[in-house]
Amino acid sequence: MKNQGGDLERTIHPLAEKYLRQERMPHMACPGCGIGQVVHSTLIACDELALTPENTVWVQGVGCSSRITYTLWKGDNIDAHHGRIFAVATGLKLSRPDLNFICFTGDGDCMSIGGNHFLHACRRNLDVTAIMFNNAIYGMTGGQVAPTTPMGAMTPTTPYGNIEDPMDSVQIALAAGASYVARWRSTDFRQIVGSIKKGIQTKGFSFIEILTQCPTQFGRYVLKTGDPIKIVQWYKDNTVTLKKAEKMTPEELKNKMLIGEFAHRTDRTGVVERYWDMIRKMQGERT
Amino acid sequence: MLKQECSINKYFVQGDEAIAEGAIAAGCRYFAGYPITPASEISETIARRFPEVGGVAIQMEDELASIHSVGGASAAGMKAMTVSSGPGISLKLEGLGWGIKNELPYVVVDVQRAGPSNGVATRVGQGDLYTVKYGSAGGNNSIIALSPMNVQEAFDLTVDCFNLSEIFRTPVFLLTDETVGHTRELLVIPDPSELKIVPRRKPTVPPSEFLMYPLNAPGTIDHPFPNIGEGYGICVSPYTHTAKGYATTSEMDQDKMVTHLVRKVTDHLDRLTRVQEEMLDDAEYGIIAYGCEARPAMEAMKKARSAGIKVGFLRPIIIWPFPDEPVYRMACKVKKILVPELNRDGQLSREVQRAAKGQAEVYHLGSGGVETHQPVHVYDELMRIIQGK
Repeated sequence: MKNQGGDLERTIHPLAEKYLRQERMPHMACPGCGIGQVVHSTLIACDELALTPENTVWVQGVGCSSRITYTLWKGDNIDAHHGRIFAVATGLKLSRPDLNFICFTGDGDCMSIGGNHFLHACRRNLDVTAIMFNNAIYGMTGGQVAPTTPMGAMTPTTPYGNIEDPMDSVQIALAAGASYVARWRSTDFRQIVGSIKKGIQTKGFSFIEILTQCPTQFGRYVLKTGDPIKIVQWYKDNTVTLKKAEKMTPEELKNKMLIGEFAHRTDRTGVVERYWDMIRKMQGERT
Repeated sequence: MLKQECSINKYFVQGDEAIAEGAIAAGCRYFAGYPITPASEISETIARRFPEVGGVAIQMEDELASIHSVGGASAAGMKAMTVSSGPGISLKLEGLGWGIKNELPYVVVDVQRAGPSNGVATRVGQGDLYTVKYGSAGGNNSIIALSPMNVQEAFDLTVDCFNLSEIFRTPVFLLTDETVGHTRELLVIPDPSELKIVPRRKPTVPPSEFLMYPLNAPGTIDHPFPNIGEGYGICVSPYTHTAKGYATTSEMDQDKMVTHLVRKVTDHLDRLTRVQEEMLDDAEYGIIAYGCEARPAMEAMKKARSAGIKVGFLRPIIIWPFPDEPVYRMACKVKKILVPELNRDGQLSREVQRAAKGQAEVYHLGSGGVETHQPVHVYDELMRIIQGK
């Protein structure tokens, strides 16, 4: 890989050197994709919490979210079938409650094919950190409509315009009982770092949705531009912070996506803690 | 514990309960299931027993989640198991490929019932022989399946399933059926010291020298399996992988991987051939059956013998890989082979026909299930084919 800086080694970010497998770089993201930004934020969060490749596992599903992040992490990488990320994570975390699990999923993986597992991971309050890249499209397969694609969007599988309403993952996570719920744009750099840190530290299911620009598919088909700056601007124009939204009318909020921190509960335990408490209690009674 | 009968270590239990106890004895400490008749008694027994032995038992939201969480638990170092019946097995097959490809040791129990679809949920069938072998999309698999005929074997073979899954680093099926699962019989649970248990093998070399997948020596078994959190940085994925576990699209890597997966089984048939053979030495006619159908088949054989007809019997205990060699040997001895089984499409009989290579005539005695064949059905059919009617 040719690098404009000349010597590749000199251009590697110290966190990438600390946490990522050099032989797997550069990663697979398209130019202008938002996933790399969030991987960067994740590494900062890991560093600030002093996590190590030995005590932290990266878990992936299928899609851009996962294919790009798979085998980047120097520690263990467990990549599930499409949609099954939280089912696999349930087995992992219940077996090894002492390890941290950071799950990278996408809107198709998490909300469509894996929707049921997502609901139940929230309900069980499974103690993992889920980062859902929402690019509002099926990127890896060629830009087909997703359950998060805006109404009216032209895609290869909705050539006459999307007639279905998009779904709101944050509301689902809240209703199903996740401990920590937040949504940011890929450009909300510090907020994402803060949320991932909180997510890792919060007991129970932490769900962080990132509105991620996809110039290759979403930009091309839905916004008719491959310019990442224009797509980022589109997200800025179509999102409102929770604080701002308080002073806006329902009419003004129509078709706007809310961003911010929606829940941070510390009062609710999850299945992992409860199961192992039960085992300890029963073992204690027996001895 | 189970309620003991008569004396110590003797129990009067269902096959399903014996499977649960077999799993515990084998060291299984992670279980995930979804309610389904006639396998629910396994889940219920395990839900009660696992916390006592320090194991995790969870009822997942569906069959897919069950098998995938079991795969995750296996990668995390647990001996793990999931159970189901026909309609649930067809869903679990989606996760099975992930287990096969990543060489994850775990056990799947299929308590067969009458199908297709929901069929007769509470009654017996034998329609999943090909489902478990060929159901996982993409082929190139390394399926091992064991089939018990009674409650004691349900326990013993469950232990064997776990051991084989560790040795061969692959999901292993216990292919049983509603009749065995719901029959109450005497079960003797051996002392733990008498049981041979294969533990998870750990690498003896440092992470920098360890290759997760032994693709440079296709067919390697007994390969170590480091778990997550042990510093080996293991890589598990749905993609065709290199020896390190990295995703690859090269034709050579793909061929290396699938050759290894297939040869893990085909290179070690000596360790994977297990049959029960009865009265074959002088046999002129043969019966081949597995699972619950083995019992009426053996009764029919005894009745024929007492009538002076020389009939022998063969039962595959490890049913996948199919015992081609013993079946061929039998076919060379006898003129005709009768294959009673609880399906109308002739699954076992087709395998027998293939393995017999034309050395004997093979006859299928099918039924849609719900009831097992009675010995008299098997006997009458045997007489009919012997007389050439």
